[in-house]
Amino acid sequence: MRLPNDLIRNLLFWAQQKRWLIIIAFLGVVMYQLPYPDGISIAGYRTLILCIIVISLIITEPVPLPAVALLIAVLEVVFHIASPVEVANSYMNDSVFFIMGSLMMAVAIVHQGLDTRLALGIIRLTGNKVKNIVLGFTCVSALLSSFIGEHTVVAMMLPVGLSLVRNCGKNKPIPNLTALILFSIAYGSTVGSIGTPSGGARNAIMLEYWRAITDSGLTLTYFQWIIMAYPMVIIGMLSTTFLLQMAFKPEFNRMDTAIRRLKIQVAHKGKITGNEFLTILIFVIVFLCWIFLNEQYGLGIIAIGGAFLYMATGLVEWKQVSQNTNWGVILLFAGTISLGVQMKNTGTALWIGNSLMSLFSPLIDQFTMIPYILNIFLTMLLSNIMSSSGTVAVLGPITLSMGGDPAYMGMTTAISSAFGYFSAIAAPACMIIYSSGLVKMTDFLKAGWRMAIMSTITLLLLYKFYWPLIIGFTNFK
Amino acid sequence: MKFLIALKNTTDESKNILEIGCKIAEGFSADLTICYIGKQSRALIEGDVNLARQTLSEWNIHHPGLEVLEWAFNILKEKGFAPDSEFNIENLVEEKGRIRMVLPKTTNYQIRLVLREGDLLSELNNEVKHGEFDIAIMGFPRRKRMTHKMAQFLDTSIFFVKNFKPSWDYKILLCVDDSRATKRAVILSTRISKQFDADVISVTVSKTSFFGKGYRNAHTWAERYLKRGKIPFESKLLSGNPVDVFVDEAGEDHIIIMGKAKGNEILKFIFGSKPIHTAQRANCPVLMVN
Repeated sequence: MRLPNDLIRNLLFWAQQKRWLIIIAFLGVVMYQLPYPDGISIAGYRTLILCIIVISLIITEPVPLPAVALLIAVLEVVFHIASPVEVANSYMNDSVFFIMGSLMMAVAIVHQGLDTRLALGIIRLTGNKVKNIVLGFTCVSALLSSFIGEHTVVAMMLPVGLSLVRNCGKNKPIPNLTALILFSIAYGSTVGSIGTPSGGARNAIMLEYWRAITDSGLTLTYFQWIIMAYPMVIIGMLSTTFLLQMAFKPEFNRMDTAIRRLKIQVAHKGKITGNEFLTILIFVIVFLCWIFLNEQYGLGIIAIGGAFLYMATGLVEWKQVSQNTNWGVILLFAGTISLGVQMKNTGTALWIGNSLMSLFSPLIDQFTMIPYILNIFLTMLLSNIMSSSGTVAVLGPITLSMGGDPAYMGMTTAISSAFGYFSAIAAPACMIIYSSGLVKMTDFLKAGWRMAIMSTITLLLLYKFYWPLIIGFTNFK
Repeated sequence: MKFLIALKNTTDESKNILEIGCKIAEGFSADLTICYIGKQSRALIEGDVNLARQTLSEWNIHHPGLEVLEWAFNILKEKGFAPDSEFNIENLVEEKGRIRMVLPKTTNYQIRLVLREGDLLSELNNEVKHGEFDIAIMGFPRRKRMTHKMAQFLDTSIFFVKNFKPSWDYKILLCVDDSRATKRAVILSTRISKQFDADVISVTVSKTSFFGKGYRNAHTWAERYLKRGKIPFESKLLSGNPVDVFVDEAGEDHIIIMGKAKGNEILKFIFGSKPIHTAQRANCPVLMVN
C-alpha cells in the first residue's frame, strides 16, 4: 500500500514540528530500559528520568507547559515513584497559593493605571539628566519589584520608559540611550526581584523546597529573607546604574524634550483617586501581613487573601483576573515542586548532588566555595536558557543536595536565578524590551557579562562575609 | 487569486518584498494579505509579557508587529493599492490564533493585514491553509534548512525575494522540464513577464547531451505557449547539472520561475530537490510554482 504524498508531507511536517517530543520520548524509553547506576534506587532512577524529561520539555517546548505539569503527575504514579494520593497532596501547598495569589494581585494592581503616577514620581525625583533618569528607573524598578513582583513592575514601568524613548524627538537614531533606559528597567526589576519572597515565583518555590526537602525542614520568614538578600539588591541597583552607563554611552546627557512631553502625557491624571488609594492600601496591608503574620498564616494564604480583597472591593473583576493570570504556569510550578519533593524522597537529588560534587572533590577540600560557585554557574546557565523561575523549580532540589549548607545553597540558587542577563528569554522584562525591536541580542551580551561578573562577586562576598555575620540574627537554622 | 506577503520588519529589504509583491499582485488583480509573524515569548513568561503589553497599549505603544503592518499599509496606500482609510487599532479582530485588521474594500481586490505570533513555519503554514493562497511572497530565509522546509511544507507557490533591486531590469529565467508543475510555471511566467515587461529565457537542462521525449515535449509546449502569448523569449536546451546551470544562467538579474518537484516527500525531506537546491543557491528572486 502506498501512502499519498500529501499525507506523507503532513506526517513529516508534524514530525519535524514535534521532533523534540519524539527525541525526548525515545531517550526516555531507552533510559528506562537501561540498568540503573550504583547508589540509586529504582524509584530514584525513574525520578531522574522524569527530571530529565521535564527539563528537556520545558526548554524545547514541544508541548504546552500545563501538559508537562500533567505528565509529571501521570509519570510519578506510572513509574511507581509515589502513590496517587501522595502525588495529589504534593501538588498543592502554600508556595503554589503564594504564586497564584501574587499573579492575581499583579493583575489587580496593573489595571489601576498606577503607571502614570509612577512616571510623574520618577520625573519629579530625577529631573532631566540622563544619568539621574537611569538611576531613578533602576532604583524604582528594583525597590518596587522586591515587593510587588518583577512582572508587575515591568508592566508598569516599561510604558514609561518606552514613552520617554519615543518622545526624544531627535532625528538621528539613539540606540545607546534607548538601550540604557530599557535595560535600566529590565535589569533593575530583575536585580530587585531577589529582595523578598514576593519578588518572584522562584523565591516562593525555594521556601517550599527548604520546608519540604531539607532534613531539618528549614523555614525563613519574609523579614528574614529581606535581611539575607537586601544588601544584594542595594549593591545590585547601584552597580547596575554604573555598569549600564559604561556599556551604553548615551548620545546626549539631557532629555528636556522627552521629559516635557511625558509630563504633558501624564498631566491629565489629576489627584490620586479612591481606587488607586485603595489598591495601594490593600497591598500595604498584605505586605504588613507577610512580614508580621506569615509564620501564623503562611505567605500563600495572605497572598490569596489579598487577591480576594481586590475582587471583593471591586477593584478588579474575576473575568480580568481569570483572563490575565497564567494558570498554566501555576500548574507547572505545582508539578515541578511535586517532582522536587519526589527527588528528595527517592534520593535522586542527593545522588545527582553527590555525583556532581565528586567531580570536584579534590578542589572542594581546598576551596569550600566551590559548591557555591558551581551552584551559581549552573543556575545562571539554566536561567538564561529556560527562564529564572523554571530554573529554581527544577534545579532547587539538586543544589540543596550538593553538599554545602542548604540554607546558603538555597539562597544562592534563588538569587543567582536572577542572573539571566545574557538572553531575552530569562525574564519577562528582557523579552519585552527585545520584542520591541529597539534593542538587539548583542546588547544583552554587551551589558550582561558586566552584570554577571558584578552579581557573582557580590553574591560570593555576601556568602563569605555577610551571611555568617547575620545568620544568628535571622534565626535561619 | 490570493497572494500572501510575509514581512518581518520595516527595512529596505521588506520594502523591496512589498514592492515586487504588489507589482505581481497588480498583474493578477489578486487579493493581497500582508502578514507579520512575531516571535512568541517562552511559555513560562508569556503571561507576564501579555500583562505588560496591555499596559503598553494603554500608552499607545502597540505590538511591534502592528507597527510593521502600519508601515506596510502606508506604503500600499501611497501606491494606491490600499483603500484611503486610516490604520486604526480599534479595527483589529482576533480570530483563530491570528489578529486581522478589518479594512474596507474599495478596489476590485481586497487588502488584508494579519498579525500572528509563534513558530514561523507553523504560523505561515496555518495562514496559507486559512487563506488558501496561490502565492506566498517572502524574504529569503537566512538558514538554508528553513528554505528547504518552507519549500516543502507550504502547500502553495512560493516566491523567495532574494537580492531584489527595484531599479534593475529583470529578465525571467523559466526552468522547463517534464514535471506537472512546469505548465503552471509557464503560464505564470507569461503573466509576470507582461507585468514586468521582461523577456523570458526558457531553459531546459539535461544531465547528459540526450534530451528525452518528456523534456523535448515540455520544451516545445513552453515555446508555443510563449509565442502565442506574444512574449519576447529565447529558448535554450542545455546540458549539465540543472541546479548549476539555472544558478549560473540566472546570475543576479533574473527572476527564476520553476515548478515545485512532485517526487517522494521522504526523499525530498532528506536530500532536497532541484527547485529547493536552486532556491538555496540562487542570487536572485526565485518563484517555485506549486
